[in-house]
Amino acid sequence: MSSTDPSATTSRRSFLGASAATFGAAWLMAHWPQVAAAAHAAHENAIAEGGGGFKFLAVDEAADVEAATAQIIPSGDTPGAREAHVVYFIDAAFAAFFAAQAEDFRKGLAEFRAGCQAANAGTAFAALDQGKQHAYLGSVELTPFFGWLRFLTVAGLLASPKYGGNKDGLGWKMIGFEDNHVFTPPFGYYDRDYPGFVPYTDTGNKT
Amino acid sequence: MSARTFRSSETVDFAVVGSGAAGGVMARELSQGGFSVVLFEQGPHWHASDWEHDELKYWLLNGIVNDPVQSPQTFRQDPDHKAERTRDTNALIYARRVGGSSVHFTANYWRFHEIDFIERSRLGPIAGTGFDDWPITYADLEPYYTKVEWDVGVSGLAGASPFDPPRSKPYPMPPMPVKSSGVLFERGARKLGLHPFPAPMAINSVPYRGRPGCVHCGFCMGYGCEVMAKSSSLYTMIPEAEATGRCEVRAESYVFNLPTDAKGRVTGVTYYDKDRRERFQKARAVVVCANGAETPRLLLNSASSRFPDGLANSSGLVGKYLMFNSGQELGAVFEHPLNEYKSAQVTRIVHDFYDSDPKRGFYGGGGIDARIGPQPIFWALREEEGAPKWGAAFKARLEEFPRSLIVYTHTTSLALAANSVSIDPELKDAWGVAAIRTTYRDHPADLSTARFLGDKSAAILEAAGALRVGKVPVSEARFSVHLLGTCRMGNDPARSVIDKFHRTHEVRNLFLCDGSSFVTSGRGQPTMTIQALAFRAADHIGRFARANEI
Repeated sequence: MSSTDPSATTSRRSFLGASAATFGAAWLMAHWPQVAAAAHAAHENAIAEGGGGFKFLAVDEAADVEAATAQIIPSGDTPGAREAHVVYFIDAAFAAFFAAQAEDFRKGLAEFRAGCQAANAGTAFAALDQGKQHAYLGSVELTPFFGWLRFLTVAGLLASPKYGGNKDGLGWKMIGFEDNHVFTPPFGYYDRDYPGFVPYTDTGNKT
Repeated sequence: MSARTFRSSETVDFAVVGSGAAGGVMARELSQGGFSVVLFEQGPHWHASDWEHDELKYWLLNGIVNDPVQSPQTFRQDPDHKAERTRDTNALIYARRVGGSSVHFTANYWRFHEIDFIERSRLGPIAGTGFDDWPITYADLEPYYTKVEWDVGVSGLAGASPFDPPRSKPYPMPPMPVKSSGVLFERGARKLGLHPFPAPMAINSVPYRGRPGCVHCGFCMGYGCEVMAKSSSLYTMIPEAEATGRCEVRAESYVFNLPTDAKGRVTGVTYYDKDRRERFQKARAVVVCANGAETPRLLLNSASSRFPDGLANSSGLVGKYLMFNSGQELGAVFEHPLNEYKSAQVTRIVHDFYDSDPKRGFYGGGGIDARIGPQPIFWALREEEGAPKWGAAFKARLEEFPRSLIVYTHTTSLALAANSVSIDPELKDAWGVAAIRTTYRDHPADLSTARFLGDKSAAILEAAGALRVGKVPVSEARFSVHLLGTCRMGNDPARSVIDKFHRTHEVRNLFLCDGSSFVTSGRGQPTMTIQALAFRAADHIGRFARANEI
């Protein structure tokens, strides 16, 4: 099937219309309750059964890290960092490819957690209500540690699932990215009916 | 014919150091010209099946490029300060693989314009800078630009831009199919009376020279092409060089010194093999195509009693006049999906602001293109002014990904003597070789040009009907993948390192050809010109060799 075959173009157009619904936010809207239920159940079970299987983070550290990532990219109508297993990405990263920075991270995390408890009568970040979590994060959002956590949250949401986050490609589905090896034009809404390049008759005021 | 292997005790005609955009061309041209060639590459020889769609690996974990653990560098903005070791990425970034940075480049392949070579004569000197004319003109390079387009493989539409310099042949392939970013960018720019045109790309839009057409997977910028549609040296020049039976590609072979004899001629190259054993390859002549960072480093690290300031450095200019290209990035969101993560990065560009214009009050000019740029992680981490960084509003921004595009402006950098590659007095790499120290601060005119073109880009995006336009603030550069100007060409040995045939002024059998040869920065997208220079240099070097003038 050549790219200039008109019937191919027509079928790709109908596919394009369908693909947004199939892979994008609409898919998640339709499937989100089941996805969320499954993800939560798996997560609760994992933690109950033995510390969540973390390789680098202690369980209480992991709880705070996960709660913070869930504030950075919250759940809602669609999955967020929690359902995408960002905390598992972060844990795996410091156990492997970011190992050289692992102790710096743990030190930053300890300061983050101590600061939170100092500001909240000894309550750990994960145990705070949403409003208080939000307020504490707001108070540290300009610190390098928060920048680091934000970076890791985004990476855990959107890196290849093989690194432990972006579970089942939820992060990619959330933002509307497809990891395919072949695409064919038209690629989007605006290039469907491009009439072709019209040559210029002027010189562009070239001097 | 299978690839040839040489013993290091054999004297080959040419040792070519660096297998990237220039080195690949050099090896192919010299071996096809009948000469024996060993092509040295620091990194391994990867093939199409080795690359992956893996943003983390290639963008975060330095999966292709020189990594800051094995190959560390230091950076400073001011020559008076001590340079600090860079952490997550190096200041001067290049792909450390056979094919060099032509493996992971974005493949933007516009030609320089006539003005780029003669700008100082047209505009006059700029105080405090090394602003100068090239010793060659666009007309000298035109046949070689055409050779790049046809022999390497470039897609495009000849005559589409009224600003394009004269050309002797059309492109061998039609332009890549337009993306939604290209349609919108063209619509907005035409409304403003500008002249957007199809981007020339070193990517096969259709099958060409035994390689397939692009499958539009979108993983070009920062990745190796998995289907060989990107016209990298890895897939074009290097296999053709090997097919002559006169060229050996010696991968994982890290050249760190160029020894000289009593007559002041280089005798070959000293390198570490893949087991980190020191080796020596004898050669009648050496052509260094190691890029604008590693070429000056190799010369400076080859200092000897005869060449105390570094090889071929009596001008003192080896490593000086480093140029990056400046620019600004903008983002815009539209009503409907664009899905910019698909296909080649760029399909439309504007050159209406290419020339410098004294009325602006500062030197500089550039091009503008529309694209998505990085894949999801680095797209999400972009920092537009006023954009939310976390919480529900940040998430809502992330969900705009399919409806978004990015515009980059590509602008001039003035040559400043303080901006340089030098040898760090303390830091060594994993092989014990003295590391690169970079000193760089943009000239104020470079930043003004970036902002000027940023404003023009915003106007184009507004005219295209963007729901929102955001700018990433222009900042002083601290790293780059465009490594230019550090062994500049010129007619005066006191003011340049190589002559107009790429021969060093001081060492008769030593030639340099890569981004280091540039006298001015152009307006970004240097690889096309690097390859045109390499075709031209190879022509002359072959002629000198045949005439026994090396």
